[in-house]
This record gives sequence, structure tokens and C-alpha cells, in this order.
Amino acid sequence: MNHRPPVSRRAFLKLTATMAAGVALASCTPKQKPTPADIATTGIKPTIPPNPTAGVISTQPTQAGTNPTLSSTNPESTTTTPAYLAVAHGPDPAAITRLAIDALGGMASFVSSGFDVIIKPNICTAYHTPEYATTTNPTVVGTLVTLCLEAGAKRVRVMDYPFGGTAKSAYAISGIQDAVEAAGGEMHVMNHAKYRVVDIPDGRDITSVEIYPDILEADLLINVPIAKDHGSTRLTLGAKNLMGTVLDRGMFHMNLSQRIADLTSLVRPSLTVIDAVRILTANGPTGGDLGDVKQMDTVIASRDIVAADAYATTLFDLTGSDIGYIQACADMGLGTMDLASVNIQEIQL
Amino acid sequence: MSWASWLRLRQATQVFFFIFYIILIFTVVQKRVAPPLADVFFRLDPFLALGAMLASREWIAEFALALVTVGLTLVIGRVWCGWICPLGSLLEWVSFRKARQRVKTNSPRLRLVKYFLLATSLAMALFGGLTLFIFDPLTIFTRTLTTALLPALFYAVNSIEVLLYRVDFLTSALDGFEGLVRGTVVPVEQPAFAQNLAVAMLFFGLFGLNLLAHRFWCRYLCPLGALLGLLSKVSLFRPVVGSTCTQCTRCAVVCKPGAVDTNPEDFHIMPSECTVCLDCMASCKPGDIRFHFRLKPAQKEEFDLSRRNALGALATGAAGVLLLGTDLRLRQENPWRIRPPGVGGEDKFLSTCIRCSQCMKICPTTALQPALTEAGLAGVWTPLLVPRVGYCDFGCTACGQVCPSGAIPLLNLEEKRLKVIGKASLDRNRCLPWASGVPCIVCEEMCPTPQKSITLEEAEVIDASGKSIIVKRPSVLRNLCIGCGICEHYCPMEGTSAIRVYDA
Repeated sequence: MNHRPPVSRRAFLKLTATMAAGVALASCTPKQKPTPADIATTGIKPTIPPNPTAGVISTQPTQAGTNPTLSSTNPESTTTTPAYLAVAHGPDPAAITRLAIDALGGMASFVSSGFDVIIKPNICTAYHTPEYATTTNPTVVGTLVTLCLEAGAKRVRVMDYPFGGTAKSAYAISGIQDAVEAAGGEMHVMNHAKYRVVDIPDGRDITSVEIYPDILEADLLINVPIAKDHGSTRLTLGAKNLMGTVLDRGMFHMNLSQRIADLTSLVRPSLTVIDAVRILTANGPTGGDLGDVKQMDTVIASRDIVAADAYATTLFDLTGSDIGYIQACADMGLGTMDLASVNIQEIQL
Repeated sequence: MSWASWLRLRQATQVFFFIFYIILIFTVVQKRVAPPLADVFFRLDPFLALGAMLASREWIAEFALALVTVGLTLVIGRVWCGWICPLGSLLEWVSFRKARQRVKTNSPRLRLVKYFLLATSLAMALFGGLTLFIFDPLTIFTRTLTTALLPALFYAVNSIEVLLYRVDFLTSALDGFEGLVRGTVVPVEQPAFAQNLAVAMLFFGLFGLNLLAHRFWCRYLCPLGALLGLLSKVSLFRPVVGSTCTQCTRCAVVCKPGAVDTNPEDFHIMPSECTVCLDCMASCKPGDIRFHFRLKPAQKEEFDLSRRNALGALATGAAGVLLLGTDLRLRQENPWRIRPPGVGGEDKFLSTCIRCSQCMKICPTTALQPALTEAGLAGVWTPLLVPRVGYCDFGCTACGQVCPSGAIPLLNLEEKRLKVIGKASLDRNRCLPWASGVPCIVCEEMCPTPQKSITLEEAEVIDASGKSIIVKRPSVLRNLCIGCGICEHYCPMEGTSAIRVYDA
């Protein structure tokens, strides 16, 4: 009955107190918040968009596929003049994703060996399968994972913070989980305990935001929205997609356009790939009616999130200046929405 | 097999079922899809089965499994209590040495309480009321885990993580841990439930009662134990003290439920109180306690329900149903009494819901909360949808999957998406674009119906700085709204939402 416990109460309390004190002390050490300046030093992530006029050829963005810069037989020739904005059309989402990235100079121009990559698709709800065009095309995401790993990335994580349904269920029903895991990437569930308040040095309306820190600390962030209708902003595209990285989205809506631009100035994805394989033309962002879905077979890619978004608006017969947050981003100098001034390569598969 | 091995086997079985039960609990925490066995313990519970079928006047096929427990009991007694019941096992493990002395002062007549509770519960069920089924051991344990213990556990995990994430060198280890548990074992959203303290107090109160007697709850209070006890009176095999007994009372000392009547004139084991733990047989010096085959019902005990008691229980049950049923809180229309998707009439729901809280546990948004008086006292701890806490996920049918009694119907996704849970209505006096000229329309953005149930109209208004701006003002299209409540949940208005769902 009176057996001796393996650890005496006194020893246990001592050990517990020592460990607690250690943790408490360690957590008191001043920890630097990640700032855009930190991120600039971590990799090739540009802090300013590449010069829009650097490209050699400027072509007018016209209706899809009518003005191909390249012959469909040899897209590899793009390596000579990397596009500022690449638009690939074709029935195979994987192939056109590759073509668009190749036109920008290939994934190797974004990924160095050992990179820790985050891909941020739009997985807004756990309601519908990919045909409904409410979440990013899984093949596009899967192909980007493959490209990153081929280029030597150490790890590729894919994450979003859905507003409708749990992350796990949204990852599954969107088809993105299967595509990403088949390609060798991992789905990551964003955890509330990790969010941190980070200053937005260039913010015009909001000067700080509670954001998922991995987004800012990744060696490369690839933003992969789907182009679709949205009640308040008309369209949800690249910059709007970044709202999935913050905890409190409600407060954004008071001044949505400027706050999205402020957030974009902080996050600055190095690559934006807009999935327009299928677009949702009405009842977005949640969708649910196949009658609102339009097959476009298009992928748009650019280092310049504003240019990519501005181009995507043309698929809805709009222009960049029609969308408040694209205008606000352009006003802040986060990119250009003047499509006439940039080197656009349209590629037909 | 030696007695020692039998005792070890029993303990192993208890541990197995306890762990199985806990694993099943975790498999359905804030998930969308329930594993097939998620409600297996409830389906094995004949008290719940009998009650739900009496009250709803329907054969509920899911509860056919309870016949296994009934059959087992009719063969060998309350095996459920001693070998399977997770609450019983837990209460057995939480035992106090003092209880052995104190129990001698308890009157054996206290055992009548459980029979009376059983009879009253079933009488109420007969008249359509399931209110007393909040005292079923499985519903107690599940409700406590759902609304009190698991949220507290997740809160602890999350709080510790917030602290540890500030330590740089721990980040990768924590990320690894997170990858394993987040979204699978630990939900992304921290759950919080109404009345978690009351539920926890009932549960820990049972621990406290163990100070007065071993397994106090099982001995004196448990209505399921009472039902199985009645069946044990006619079980085929019963523990019987043999003729070589010296009345050393060693068996009575080890017996956890106190099933040995040590009256020298009538020294015997009471089958209705025995939980088949075999401790007496292992401890008997002459080795003369054995299971004997008996067809004749067991002898009467002083605490058995008399005819007068039974009639009293019937009258209490009838009075309870009548009084609870004429509670104004139940009878008047209550706009906040929003039931889970697919639930029809309130009376039908109250006479089918066994108050097990499985639906609250699985709801991925923790929208389902235990009621207090929204349906009168008759509906205490039944599930309510509280949109400000969580919305009904448009892609989810989970609550119907885990409901053991079918009070929440099992629907496929297409059916469920058409079920009208309530209707949203907008308060233009508080809504930001209507009342304050501030752009918002979160409600329209969130609305999940394929054709939006919220329409927007543009209006030119003067904003706070005196500038003329265009805002979009939302209005609800009542014919399309299904009352999922996601608009109310995400409305950025402080406190009460400017758009609210009312029961419809």
C-alpha cells in the first residue's frame, strides 16, 4: 500500500518550476517582429516590382488567344526575354501553368535550392467541388508545387483560412489537398496561436495587422487566386486573396480597397498566378451555381500582383481601375495596372 | 483461468472500452464526417433506447443494438456496469479509502432512488417527455466532455502554444506538433459552450459523492444501472453464495457496488446490485461463490420499487410532463429557439432528442449550444443553433450523422441545403451602410446560397467626413434565405449583429 513513487513530490515540483522558469525567461527575450525589410534579406523576394518597361516587347492585351507572342510549338524560346506578364491559354491546366511560369523565366528564377515555399490559393469555403469555380483549380496548385520542388525547394506548404467550413474539410473538397499531396507538397492548417501583430510601414489606412507569420517569413510566397465575382469589390483576384492571411477580416470591410492595398504592401508575394481556368461570373465569392461558371482555360502569371489583377479584370470585360483595390494598390506604387506599358506574352497551348 | 486473470481481464476490458469511448469522442470533435461507430455507445444503451422509442412512439432501428446489452444482462447480469460503461469505470477508478467506513452509515433504502428515477424517467417518456434523460450516464459523460472538458483541454493547449511560440528555437518543434494535431485532434477554432460550469459541476459532483460510497452514482442514482438491475433479477446466471460460506464477509468488503447483503439470517448477493466484477469470487476463502443457473426471479429486496412507489413514479412523471409542457417559455413562439437543420416540430424534437450533445460536439463551427430555458425547462440541454457563436456550415451534414435517436434527421447534402433553419432579417437602424453610411456588405459576401439571399442596392450617402460616397445596402430575400446564420455570425457590428436569424 505504501509504495514509493518513482519521483518524489518535491523533485517533481522542482523540475516543473525550473522548466516553467526557463520557458518564461526564454519567452521574455525581445523577439523581432518580421518586417518587410527582414524579408528582403531572406531571399530574392523583390521589395519593388520589376521595372515594367524592362521588357522588350509590349503587346496590347486583347481578347484571349488572339495575339499570341509565341508559337505554340516552341514555348521554350521565352527564356530569351522573360515576360512581365504571362498569359497562357489551353485546355490543359497543368500545361498552361507551366507555360506561364516558363514565360516569366521559369520557376528557377523564383526558387533557389533549399527554399521554404508557401503557396496561398483561394480556398474560401468548404462547400463546392472545383467545377463550381469557388476555389482555386487544384491542378494549377499541384503543378506549382511540382515546379517548386523541381526547382529545388526544400518544402512547399499550401494554406488558406476558409471563412465557410473548417480548413481540413475545405482542403479536401476543393481537391487541392489531393493535388498538393500527390505533387509532394503539404497542406498546412493555420493555427490561431501563431498569428502575430505586424506593423505595416507603408499602410495608409491600417498601420498594423494580425497576420500568419509564416506568410511573411517564407523564402517564396506564391499567391494563387481564382478569378471570380465578389459582392463588394466586384472581383476577387490576387490582392484580395491575401485577406486569407489575416485573422480579423471583418474590420477590413470598413475601407476594403485601401486596407487590401495596405495588406498587399506588407505581404508582397513574389509571384502571383491567377487561375482563370474557370471563372465565376456572379454570386461570388461563395458560388454554387454552375450557370455562373465560365470556362476560360487561362492562367495569368506575373511578379507584379497589380498587373496580374488588372489583366484578369479584362476577362470580365472590366479594367483595373474599375476595381477599387487594384486602383489603390497602383496608387501606392505596388505595381502597374497600365497594361499597355508592360511586356505581356500571350501563349496558346 | 485463475481468478486473478479474470480480474485482470475485467480491468483490461474496462480500460479498452474507456479508451475506445474517448477515441470516438475525439473522432467527432468539430468534424464534418462522423466515423460509422461514432454513436455506438449510445446505441448500446437500453435506457436511452426505451425512452426515445416510448416518447417518440416510433421504432428507432439504430437502437436495435441495445438488445445486445439487454441480452447480455439477461444472461449474466450487469456486465455493462462492471466491464463496459465508461462513466462507471471512471467512477470506479476515482475511489476514496474513507468511503469504505462511511458507506456503513448509508441506508440501503437509498438504492431506491435509482429505481424511482428510472420509473419516473420512463413514465415521463411514456407521456412524451425526455427531460430526465439528461441523467443517463452516457449523456452525462459525453455532455461534460463536449461542453466542459474538451474546450478546457484545447484552451490549455492553445494557451501553452501561444506562450511557447514566442520562444524561437521551439517553433519548428511546435510546427511539427501542430501538423499532427491541428484540425484532427485539436480543432482550429477554440470551442466554448454555454453552461459548461453547470455541466462540469454535475459531473464532478459525482466524483465528490464517491467520498460517501464507492461508485455512489452507480449504486444509488444511475437510471441505466437500475434498468439493468431489474433485468439482472431474472438473468440466467447469478452469483450465489454456497453452503460452505462462513460469513467471513470478505466478499462484502471487496464488493465495490456493495451488492452483498451481510444479514446473517439471509446472507446473499443481490443480483440487481452486482456489477459482475468477480471480486467476491476471487476473494472467497472457501471459493464458494459461483454463478448458478436460475430460472426463478431473484428474491425481493427492501429497496425494490413497491407498487406504491411505481404508481408514485408514474404520477410524478405525468405531473412533470404536464407542468413542463405548459411552461410559457416552451409554449410561446421563441425567435431564438433555432433548432439544427432538418428538425421539424418542437414537440416532436423534444420527444426524440436524448440530450446526448453529440451534435454539439461534432458541429464544426460550435454553432450548436445547450439550451437553458429557451424551450422551457423541458428542453434543458437540448441543442440550439446560436448564429452569433457559429453558423450552420453550408457543406456540412454532421449533426444528423451522429444523432443516435434521429431527432436531427440524417440528410444528404442536397436535402440539407434546402432545409430552412430560420430566416434572416436586417435591422436598418444598425446596419453600417444603412445607418452610418459605412461600406460593409459582409453578409452578402458570406451568404452561401447559390443565388445570393441578400441583394445589394447602391445609394449615395454622406459619410462621416461629409463626403458623398456610394455604398451598397443589403436586403434579405426571404424566399431564398435558409437561415444558416453565417451573415449574423460575421456581421462586424459590435455586440448583437445587425442581421439576425429568427426561428421560422
